[in-house]
Amino acid sequence: MSILLDEGQQAIATESRRIIDARENKAKALDLIEASGEYDAAWWDMCREQGWTAVALPEEAGGLGLGLVELGQVAVAVGAGIAGAPFLTSSFGVADALNRHGDQQQKARWLGLLASGDKIGAVAFAEGQNPLPTKPSVTFSDGKLSGTKPAVSAGLHADIAVVLAFDGTKSVLVSVDLSGVERQRINSFDNSRGTADLVFDDSPAELLQADDARRAALEILARQAIITAHEQVGGAEKAMLIARDYANTRKAFGQLIGAFQAVKHRIAELYGLVEIARANALHAAANADGPDLIKNAAAARIAATDAYDTSARDSMQLHGGIGVTWETGLHLHQRRTRTLALEQGNLLFWEDVLVNELAGEKA
Amino acid sequence: MTDAYEAYRQKARSWLQSIESEFGREARRGLTEEQDLALGRRYQSAKYAAGYAGINWPEDFGGQGLSHIEKVIFESEEMKFGVPSVYFGISLGMPVPILMRYGPDKEFARERVIKALKGEEIWCQLFSEPSGGTDLAGLRLKAEQDGNGWRLNGQKVWTSWAHYSDYGVIVARTDPTVEKHKGLTYFWVDMKAPGVTVRGIKLAGGDSHVNEVFFDNVRVEDNQRMSPVGGGFAVAITTLMIERYIATDSGGFGPHLDLFVDLAKEVEINGRPAIEDGRIRSAIARNYAMRAGLDSITARAMLMMQAGMEPGPEGSLNKLVAVRSRQKLSELAIDLQGNSGMAFEPHAFVKEDWSASWLNAPTGRIAGGSDETLLNTIAERILGLPQDHRPDKGVPFNQIPA
Repeated sequence: MSILLDEGQQAIATESRRIIDARENKAKALDLIEASGEYDAAWWDMCREQGWTAVALPEEAGGLGLGLVELGQVAVAVGAGIAGAPFLTSSFGVADALNRHGDQQQKARWLGLLASGDKIGAVAFAEGQNPLPTKPSVTFSDGKLSGTKPAVSAGLHADIAVVLAFDGTKSVLVSVDLSGVERQRINSFDNSRGTADLVFDDSPAELLQADDARRAALEILARQAIITAHEQVGGAEKAMLIARDYANTRKAFGQLIGAFQAVKHRIAELYGLVEIARANALHAAANADGPDLIKNAAAARIAATDAYDTSARDSMQLHGGIGVTWETGLHLHQRRTRTLALEQGNLLFWEDVLVNELAGEKA
Repeated sequence: MTDAYEAYRQKARSWLQSIESEFGREARRGLTEEQDLALGRRYQSAKYAAGYAGINWPEDFGGQGLSHIEKVIFESEEMKFGVPSVYFGISLGMPVPILMRYGPDKEFARERVIKALKGEEIWCQLFSEPSGGTDLAGLRLKAEQDGNGWRLNGQKVWTSWAHYSDYGVIVARTDPTVEKHKGLTYFWVDMKAPGVTVRGIKLAGGDSHVNEVFFDNVRVEDNQRMSPVGGGFAVAITTLMIERYIATDSGGFGPHLDLFVDLAKEVEINGRPAIEDGRIRSAIARNYAMRAGLDSITARAMLMMQAGMEPGPEGSLNKLVAVRSRQKLSELAIDLQGNSGMAFEPHAFVKEDWSASWLNAPTGRIAGGSDETLLNTIAERILGLPQDHRPDKGVPFNQIPA
């Protein structure tokens, strides 16, 4: 697929940005920070009404049959507006896993509900500091799952999880209906992500078909990482533009502060990081079905994390005192940079994955 | 990439492969600069004969009448072969196209253009002066009217390949009593004319491709004038803008990242393979992500051009980001080699040798727009931030404090 957006893709980008801009609600986002275990339900309704939950799911499952390029454009807009919940990415991850590794029955049961947004998915691969453990501590035997997956995004609200577990001899991918599963809510610096420990205790689970479950999990993670990279690009660009607009308004020493090179060069550097990250994200999305999925996703992830981190950090710095107030809300970006940097594997993980690919070693 | 362009790329690549043994990197190894230039002239002539010179120039000037897309395709392929084209880059990049467009005598211009395309003549660009380069409108070299012509007095500097040049284009101050950018006029000059003195400048990396050029009462006819009197600034800006679509290199014209990975596999840090060291892995990953992003920006620009659209302004990031990273990666590559990294081969190619890449990187960050100038351009033109404070605005040139 081309890395040049066609008219339809361009329209998705513009339209999703327009809708999100129109419904921007900073007060609500600030409230959510202090409300552990809640998400922005109105925001999620909007995502469902707009059909964004269905964008990259197959048509036979009630999806729109589009791909990561289109979902990526939605994610850029979502990132700029600071998402009210992590479900677009987490539900996509579950649907993607079921679509590739599930049987007809599993697909029939879940895909349509995920496409409509009636059900929410969570992906639970990570354990502790390890985004993709080689020998997961969560075990699967006789159709039952046991052990804890810590700090799963969307875990508190999800109806289904796809879990990387260990069956006694090898890693396996399983799907688990979360209705009877205990979740322990985790208070976070970025509440609204529905972060929770999932505590499995002989929880009924279904095996998904994957010859190499860890590799399959890495690829699911990579496709999620491409979406998150777009979201990070959106956030990074927004934080940069906020700084740009402030520098074009605020005066000191008789001139706009944007005329000082210490300020304008810093913003120009952010522009560079954002555009490099955008190009990587788009390239990865457009080639997600190609042989370089992992390499491209890693590059997208690294560039996007760097861009958002730097942009949020510098945007606050360039505002001076007003930038560190609760009300101005730049800390919403600051908080979101870390959450997005951790979800789908941190920078250290992706750097290693990338170098393994480049140096010809096995991931 | 559409089929026609892909076919053009394949054809160009086959031709380059066919001449590689005669003109490629291996053929150039160990040559003196004079020998290399002579080889370069033969290469340029072969290029002309094969229809790869002046790819996007009009046919009646010896060009091929194709678009800048074919030109960028050819140059991207050409870059991989290490051919001796460096002597003609500026000549064919800026002064000669300007001559084609603004040369007052078409027959004369046509003859010059074809000789330049064949590598028989070389043109230089005389813009920068000791008192300023980035501040292009602030230059001081004088052109005073002398009968129906002009006399040039003053100095230019950083003039690439002036020592091999037959002609040059020059911007001179014809009226110091008006605002700085309104008192400039654009000419072409004969570099062999009496009163022109070229003196080489040895650069930090050890080579001398740039020069000081002195003009001592050099006579220029009025038909060598390529702008209205006082209208030289606009032509100078056009000269700098003419090469809008050029082949870029996300490696900052230094070694490819593969070479760094190979090095990291060969050497050890404290008894462990360097490729397993987290610091090295991080450097590789960050550089890859950055270069891959620049490559995608370039690929998208090509697609936009093919679709008849104007590429986005993000293409301007390449030089800024890539050369800076090449500099740091070269430092790390030298360090990785320990004491053996101190060995130096003065004639090594910048694209395959870390020391040569590192020594010459500072030049890359200054020539053709310094990092700081590029950041200003991005901030002002793309992001709409205010211009720097400019105390010389609106002030007659001769009243600006020197």
